[in-house]
Amino acid sequence: MSDRTWLAQVPVRRLLERDLEARFPLPPGDRPLVEVGTTVSAGDPLLEHLRDRRIEQVEVRPGLEGAAAAPAPGSRWSLPAGRRQDPAREGELLSPMPGGRDRWRLVTGGHRVALASPVAGEVTEVRPGAEIRVRPAGPAVRGGFAAGSAARGRLELATDPFGELRPGGIDVGRAGSILVVGARIDAEALTRARAMGVCGIVVASLPGKELRDFQASERRQRAALHPAPPFGVLVLDGALRRPIPGPLTRLLEDHAGQPVSLLVDPPALVFEDADPEPALPEPAWVRIRSGPNAGAEGRVLGLAGPRRFAANVVLEAAWVSIDGEPPVDVPLGDLERFA
Amino acid sequence: MSSDPRVFATVDLGTATVAATLVGRAGGRWRLVAAGASPAGIEPDALLERLRSRLAGADPALARELRLEADGSAADLARLTCATAPAPEMTVVAASGRVLRPLVAAAEAAGWRVRGVALDGADILGVATALAHPRASAVLAGASDPPGADERSLLPELATLVAATAERRPGLVTVLAGGLAEPGGRAEGLFHPDRPGATVLAPAAAAGGGEPLRELLDGIRGRDDDGRRALARATGTLAEVLERRVEVLEIGRSGGLRAAAGWSPGQPSRARWAAPVAAALLPPGFTDRHLDTIIGWLTLPLDRLRVRDRLRELAVAPWGDAAGDGALLRVAAARAALERLLAATPAFDRLPAPELVVAAGGPWAVAPAPAVALALADVFRRPGVRALGQDHARLLAPLGTIDDDDERRRVMADLRDDLLVPLGSVVLPSGLRPGRPAGRMTIGPAAGATPAAMPAAAEGGAAGPPSAARGPAPVSELELVPGSLELVDLPPGSRAVLELHFRDTVDLGVRARHVAVEVTGGLGGLLVDLRDVPLRLPERLERRRDLLSAWQAALWPGVEA
Repeated sequence: MSDRTWLAQVPVRRLLERDLEARFPLPPGDRPLVEVGTTVSAGDPLLEHLRDRRIEQVEVRPGLEGAAAAPAPGSRWSLPAGRRQDPAREGELLSPMPGGRDRWRLVTGGHRVALASPVAGEVTEVRPGAEIRVRPAGPAVRGGFAAGSAARGRLELATDPFGELRPGGIDVGRAGSILVVGARIDAEALTRARAMGVCGIVVASLPGKELRDFQASERRQRAALHPAPPFGVLVLDGALRRPIPGPLTRLLEDHAGQPVSLLVDPPALVFEDADPEPALPEPAWVRIRSGPNAGAEGRVLGLAGPRRFAANVVLEAAWVSIDGEPPVDVPLGDLERFA
Repeated sequence: MSSDPRVFATVDLGTATVAATLVGRAGGRWRLVAAGASPAGIEPDALLERLRSRLAGADPALARELRLEADGSAADLARLTCATAPAPEMTVVAASGRVLRPLVAAAEAAGWRVRGVALDGADILGVATALAHPRASAVLAGASDPPGADERSLLPELATLVAATAERRPGLVTVLAGGLAEPGGRAEGLFHPDRPGATVLAPAAAAGGGEPLRELLDGIRGRDDDGRRALARATGTLAEVLERRVEVLEIGRSGGLRAAAGWSPGQPSRARWAAPVAAALLPPGFTDRHLDTIIGWLTLPLDRLRVRDRLRELAVAPWGDAAGDGALLRVAAARAALERLLAATPAFDRLPAPELVVAAGGPWAVAPAPAVALALADVFRRPGVRALGQDHARLLAPLGTIDDDDERRRVMADLRDDLLVPLGSVVLPSGLRPGRPAGRMTIGPAAGATPAAMPAAAEGGAAGPPSAARGPAPVSELELVPGSLELVDLPPGSRAVLELHFRDTVDLGVRARHVAVEVTGGLGGLLVDLRDVPLRLPERLERRRDLLSAWQAALWPGVEA
């Protein structure tokens, strides 16, 4: 097999992706402020989120003031003029009551909170009662999973790729930033970062316990009358500790100080630079993603064929040289190369 | 495929791995000549080239005969390709929980990821939010036929809510089942006839045991080349070719499949099947209960947090960390998934017991064949005597994509010796009384088998590790000790006759005291499984782990108890 053919057996991790779509929930009652095809900039209003949602029954007859010409599910409705002004009696028509088209269920609520788009791009879909989708203008680094809310901030590298950020290492000087914190972080540091005004965290791994603790804290924050600004955590790899991949670290270093968007659905970090040229490593440069050498990087020298590993498991393997040492057999499934 | 008489390729594009084979004509029949798998994302062409290269190196003459000696010559081969994808989502809504349950069961069996909502007593806003969920691509609304007293008053509300959802999302496929499905009726009249999404009228969930509704929902799910549908079709053909009742149990990253097919002379076999998403290796909406089940099968002394982290890694990169502890974790997760698969398909337990059970799917690939046999015996606790096999090359599903029944049967008949790895046979009686020997078993060569191919059995203690002995004795005896797991070394290709003499009547598929049955060998030999049915394991995790480890150690060389 030629070099190109055997290298094709090694799984690829794309440094940058350009075809993802950010998804923002738009449950019944929330009001979209954009239309399909709209170009939004980061910070532009995207939707109004209705808090303390409830349902009321209202009479909606065409001709009555406040009613749409032909009431339809998803259309707006407000209390006709000349009656007691009740700001709560404004909302979205959900469905007619059974048996008649004049009485409708209205989704209304206490007050509305505007949600600004964390990312610049084009609105590709608006589904009332379901979601809004935005295709980012810039390329993105896709992560393994994310928690919290989509956010935007200035990219800062807080530690080296192998490091761990402790709560004491975060102060208000980091406010407004999205911090790259190396190999791992704990829930206490995450909540402190949120309290200090940090917008987001990018980390290689986050153990399940820390994730659950953070999610519980985040739920309490969102339920508060005056919730904290959006804060998200993007986990690049998984739950077990390992450093951020070298090529990815270089890409993040290149964009330090620039504004970036952290998305939760899908988990990704979006750059505003429309066409960055990532410095790709040589084609045979690989990272060992899992297994005994997890996190190490080196050069793949060739396919080793089926090899017997621990627990008597036979797997397709490749020879990998780490730091110029003699090659070791590594299962192909544990490797990733960059493109 | 028929147009090229030399060789063809099969490709099974899974959500975690891609498996490929080269099937060539040798000696006037189709034979499996190479098989392999790669992480998902690797181009099938690259995998096929690896197989071709390996074939050319191992058997140049065969490669030359199949014209596969040149680099890149596998690229243009005819291919049978199937694919599995993450399950699409469906919201199922009914007036009451009573009506909802069979609807949910039918949708889950058809391979949908289901969000079920009962209108009775529910918050309307919650129901509307679930109906319009952005990930849902279809809504199934159903009622009994005729509607029951508990649902009649809620049906107008139900129909109005679903129609309003369809108006918000015109592209949503809407299925009206049972009492809501009157053609031209009031419910159907609420939907705009010219909207982009279809409005489908379906039978009630109770009609035909739910099978007509399941088939309809499976059709809506789409994908002509769906791997699980193809695997079910191949199961039917396999039953015809082997002339046996066959059950295939597949576990994958995106779901599982249970397909059962009987056989009768001159009749085409058609498999009954279900593909619940809940049987995925790590199901969507993974909970602490799922975690507990996996820990319950795990033979590693890992704490709960560590197991959860390892499973999250497995979810992110299902092809990684497949050796060592990773293999043991996968097999524990596969056992738990198999339990969920069986629990989600109780109707299959009322079908005649299978004579052959086949394990399929990627998670089994990391374990040695005897350990897979043990996993099947641990979880599939239906009393009887049956052979066990494994779809080792993931060849069945691609063969199931052959549309023509006769052609599929011809190809599978040619490949009958290559399709499955024989794992062995299992003898699984139930109704044994604990505390005293249950009887004796005699093992002798089958008619036509040579004594040398008949190693002897040895006895094992109750609830202790399985024991095995090897020797050339033509006939051997084994005392049947309730609670024990006995191994008899019966190699692939060999056959033996078992004579079982129980002190009391037991359930062995049929209720009897004396049974004589022919069994076939395999890589796992013969498992005489005298443990409880269903399997009862110690509540204390350490004791449970020790027991599982002891059973596993004898069948998984390289893993210590």
